[in-house]
Amino acid sequence: MQPKLKSKVRCSDSEVGEVRRVIMDPLSHEISHIVVGAGAADSVERQVPMGQVQGVAEEVVTLRGTSAEYATLPAFKRDEYVTTHEVEIAHLEDRIHVTPGEVLVPFPELERSVKRRTFFANFTHAIGFLIGLPLAFPVLRYLMKPMYSPFDNQWLKIGNSGKIKQDDVGVQFKYKRKIKEAYMPEQEIDKNVWVLKATPKVLESIYQGKDMEFRDATGKALWTNKKDVPYIAFSGKCPHLGCGFKWRTHKTLGQVFLCPCHLSIYDAAGKVLDGPAPRALDPLPIKVTAAGEITIIDMEFKAGTKAQVRIV
Amino acid sequence: MDTTTQPTNTQPSAIEKVFAFVDERVGLKTLQAKMLNEPVPGGSRWAYVFGSVLLFIFIMQAVTGILLMFYYVPTADHAYASTQYIIHSVDYGWFLLGYHFWGSTAMVVCVFAHMSQVFLWGAYKKPRELIWLVGLALFGIVMGFGFTGYLLPWDQRAYWATTVGVEIMDKTPLLGDFMARFLKGGATPGQMTLSRFFVIHVMVLPAALMGLAGLHVFLFRKAGPAGPFRGTVEEIKAKTDYFFPRQIWKDIVGMVLVFLCICSLAFWEPVVLLEEATPDPGDYHPEPEWYFLFLFQLLRLKIFAGEFGQFLGAIALPGAFMALLAALPFIDRSPERNIFKRPIALIGWIVVMASILIFTVAAIINREFLE
Amino acid sequence: MTGRETMSSFKLGLSILWPACWTALPIKMAFAMLFMAMGTIHLETKLGITFLMLLMTPVSVFAFFVISLGVGFHFGEGTGLPLLFLLSIPIDIWSLGLVARTVFLERLRLEPPASLGVGLWVRFAVAGAIYLPFLWVVQGGATDLARSITKSILDMDMLKAMPVAERIGLEFTAWGSASLVVLVALTFVGLSILGKLVEGRAAAAKPAGDTYQDLISRWDMIRVPADQSLMLTAFTAAGAVLSLLFWAVLPVSTPHPHECCKPPTEAVAPSFDAQKSLSKGEKAFKDAELKIAAIEQRAAEDEKEKQKGGKDKAGVKEGSPKSDGKPSQSAAGKPAGSGK
Repeated sequence: MQPKLKSKVRCSDSEVGEVRRVIMDPLSHEISHIVVGAGAADSVERQVPMGQVQGVAEEVVTLRGTSAEYATLPAFKRDEYVTTHEVEIAHLEDRIHVTPGEVLVPFPELERSVKRRTFFANFTHAIGFLIGLPLAFPVLRYLMKPMYSPFDNQWLKIGNSGKIKQDDVGVQFKYKRKIKEAYMPEQEIDKNVWVLKATPKVLESIYQGKDMEFRDATGKALWTNKKDVPYIAFSGKCPHLGCGFKWRTHKTLGQVFLCPCHLSIYDAAGKVLDGPAPRALDPLPIKVTAAGEITIIDMEFKAGTKAQVRIV
Repeated sequence: MDTTTQPTNTQPSAIEKVFAFVDERVGLKTLQAKMLNEPVPGGSRWAYVFGSVLLFIFIMQAVTGILLMFYYVPTADHAYASTQYIIHSVDYGWFLLGYHFWGSTAMVVCVFAHMSQVFLWGAYKKPRELIWLVGLALFGIVMGFGFTGYLLPWDQRAYWATTVGVEIMDKTPLLGDFMARFLKGGATPGQMTLSRFFVIHVMVLPAALMGLAGLHVFLFRKAGPAGPFRGTVEEIKAKTDYFFPRQIWKDIVGMVLVFLCICSLAFWEPVVLLEEATPDPGDYHPEPEWYFLFLFQLLRLKIFAGEFGQFLGAIALPGAFMALLAALPFIDRSPERNIFKRPIALIGWIVVMASILIFTVAAIINREFLE
Repeated sequence: MTGRETMSSFKLGLSILWPACWTALPIKMAFAMLFMAMGTIHLETKLGITFLMLLMTPVSVFAFFVISLGVGFHFGEGTGLPLLFLLSIPIDIWSLGLVARTVFLERLRLEPPASLGVGLWVRFAVAGAIYLPFLWVVQGGATDLARSITKSILDMDMLKAMPVAERIGLEFTAWGSASLVVLVALTFVGLSILGKLVEGRAAAAKPAGDTYQDLISRWDMIRVPADQSLMLTAFTAAGAVLSLLFWAVLPVSTPHPHECCKPPTEAVAPSFDAQKSLSKGEKAFKDAELKIAAIEQRAAEDEKEKQKGGKDKAGVKEGSPKSDGKPSQSAAGKPAGSGK
C-alpha cells in the first residue's frame, strides 16, 4: 500500500504530523521519501526515507523510532525538487497512486543553473538561425530566376505598308513571335499590332513635337521613333487590362479604336476618348524600308497603370 | 528589505502578455514543460543525436525537393531538359540539386548510424519493441526514397539503374510480376514509370514517413529514453539533465555538422547528368546508388546465378535478414544492455557492417573488370 | 562515492583525442565549406583521407605538411587546404583544453593545470608530426605487401579459375584484414604515446577535492561562458558575416571542379589495356615485318642496280618492333575512400 496524502504520521511515541508530499525516484518509479509536516504552515517539514517507514495503513503511516529520532531527519528542501507537472516521466501513473501535484521528483543538479539553461537555449537558437541563413539568399535567387527575364529586342517583320490604303485608319497586322521558355522547346505564338499611316495632325498629337525614345533595361538608348515618320505601330493589347482591341466606327465619335472588354475608346492617335483606360495606346519602335517593309520591336507593357512600364 | 530600491518593472511585456493569453487557453507552459523537460538518465549524449539529425535531414530534403519541383517536370520529354535547366540555368539550382542529392546519401549514412546506435545500446529490448519495428519500416521508406528519386533525372544512369532494380524485384515469387508491372506502369519502363515513381517519391513516401516518424517519436516518449548501458546509479544521477536544452543543443550541433558536410560534398562533386535515357544502354554499365552496391555485388556471386539463385540473393536473403531484425526484440529477451556483455550481438553487428563494406568496395573494384 | 578511474595510457589518449577531434570539427567544417565554395580547395579522389587528416588536426596539423612534402602525397589542389590546417591550430588548442579539463576533473579527479590546452596541443602536434608520417609509411608498406601476397596467392594455378566477383571479394577481405590489423596496432601505439604525454602533464596536478556531483557540475559549467551575451552576439555576428561571404562567393552556375588545376607536366595517362595493346602490338609487328620484307626486297634490287652503278645511299630502315605491351596494374580506379 502506498502512503496517502494527509495520512497521519506517528512515531513509536507520538504523532508527528501528516503526509504533505511524496517524493519518487525517476529511475525506479518507486516512492523514495515522504514529506511530513505538522501544524503551522511554516513549521519544519521533514524528508523521511521509506526505509524509516514501518507500516502504511489506510489513514496512518507509522515510522520506526521515536519522535526525537524523527527530529534528526533532514529538513525538506523544496528547491531541490520539481513537481511531476514540470517534467516528463514515462509511465508515472502506472506506479504511483497519489494525486499528482504533490508528487515530486528530484531536480537534476545540472539543471539548477538558470545561467546554463538560458545559455544553451540561446546558443541553440543562434545555431538554428545560422543554419537557415546561408540558404536564404540562394533560395530567393533560385525562385526569382524566371521573374525578371531580360527583354528580347529583335526586329520582327510584320508585313508591307502596301496593305494600308488610307491615312489615319487602323490596319491590323498579324505576325508570329518565337518564344523559348526555360527548357521547353521553342514555340511560335500569334501576335498582332495596329499600324496607322498618320497625317501630320495625328502625328503631332502622338509625338507632341518630340521624337519617341526607347531605352533597354540598362537605360541605354535602343531606338528612336522620329516624329516625322508617318507610320505608327500600336501594341495590340489594350492598356486597361490587356484585351485585344479593334478599329470600328462609333456612333458619335467616328472611326476609333474600340476595346470590346470594357469599352475603352481611343482615337486614331491612340488618345483615350472614353472608358476606363488609364493611358493612351502604346506605340512600338517601328522601321519602314523604302520598299515598304515594316519591322517592329515587339514590346508589352503593364496593363492598368498610368505610367508605361515595359514587361516583355 | 531596502526600502529605497527602485520599484521593479512588474508590467509584463507585449510578448509575455500574448504568451500568457495563449497559455491560459491552451496550457502552453505545461505542454512546453512536458515536451522539453524530459530527464535523460545519464545525461545528454552525442550518441543520441542521430534520430534528430535524421529528422533534420528529412526536413531539408523536403525543402530542397519542393524547391526543385518549381522547375522539374516529371514527363519523359521534359524531365531531362528541366533537370539540366536547374543545373545550368537557374541561379544556384546546381547547389540546391547537389544538396538534395548528397542529402540522400547523408540520410542513408545516418540511418545506419542510428540503427547501429539503437542496436548496440540494446534499446530495442522491452519495452521498446514497437519503436524498433516502426523504425525498421522507416528504414524501408528511406531506401524507397533513394530508389524512386534516382529515376527522376531520366538520364542513362537513372533509367538503367531503375530498370535493373525493378527486374530484381520481379524475382519475388508470386507477387513479383505484379509488383514490377505496378511500379513500371506496364511491361517496360516509360512515361508511366516516371509518373508513378514521381508520385511515390513526392507524395506517398513523405506522407508515410511523416506519419510513421510521428508514431516513432510518440512511442519513444512513452517508453522514455533508455539511457546509457552502464554506469553506477550515482554516476547516472549526477549526470542526468533535461532534453532541453542540453540534448537539443547537441542535436543541433550534429545537424550543423551534417549540413556543412552535405554542402561540402555538393562542392566536391556537383551533380552531372549522363546523356538522356534511351532504350539502348550502349556503352553504359548500369549501376545503382552506392547504398545498394553491396546487394548488386552480392548478386554477381556464382552461388546466386540462375533464376533460383537470383531469387535467393535478391529476395530471400535480404528478406530473411530483415525478418531477423524484426524478430530481434522477441528473440533476444535478456535485459542485459551492455554491448560488451552481449558477444553475439557485438560480433553479429561487426560481421554485418564489415560484409556490407566489403561488398560495396568490391563492387567499386569490379568496375575495371567490366571494360 | 565513485572512485577515481585507473586508465591505461591508451584509454587516456583515446578519451582525450576522440572528443577533441569531434569538438573541433564543426568549426573547421564551416571554414572548409567556405573555402570549397570559393574554389580554393579541390579534392579529386582523396576526399576520405583528406577528411580524416582534417578531423585529426590535433595530431595531424604538422604531419599533413610533412607527409605532403616528405612522402610526396598529394591530398588536393588549392591554397585553401594548407590554410585550413593552419586555421585549425587555435581551434584545436581550445578544443583540447576543454576536453582535457573535462577528463582531468571527471575521470582523473585532478585539478587541471594552467594552459592545459596549449601544453597538450604542442605535445600532440609534435608527436603527430613524427609518428603519423612513420605510420603512413609503415601502413603503406604493409598494405602493399599484403596486396601483393594475396595477389600472388590468387594468381596460383589452383585458384586461377575463381570467378571475378568472388576473387575481388576474397582478395579485398584478405589484404584488407591484414592491413586493418596493422592499422589497429599502430593506432594503439599512437594513442598510448598520447596517453603518456597526458600523464606527464597530470603528474604535477593536484587532486580535486570535490564530490563526484560537484566535479560533474564543474566540467559542465566550463562550457557556459562567463559573459553569455557577449559570446553569443560575437558568435552570431561571426556566423552572419561568414554567411554573407558565402553568398558572395557561391558560384551562380554549376562549377566544374574536375576541370581545375591539371598541372601541364602530369598529363593524364590513358588507361592501359593489355589485351588491346598486345593485339595492336602484334598487328604492328606483322605490318613492320611486311614493311621490312618489302624494304629489304627493294634494297636488294637497289643494291643490284647500284652495284651496276654507284654506292647505295638509302639506309635500310629497320622497323623497330613495337615494345611488347607489358601488362601493368591498371592505374585507374583506386578503391574510393580506402586508398592511401
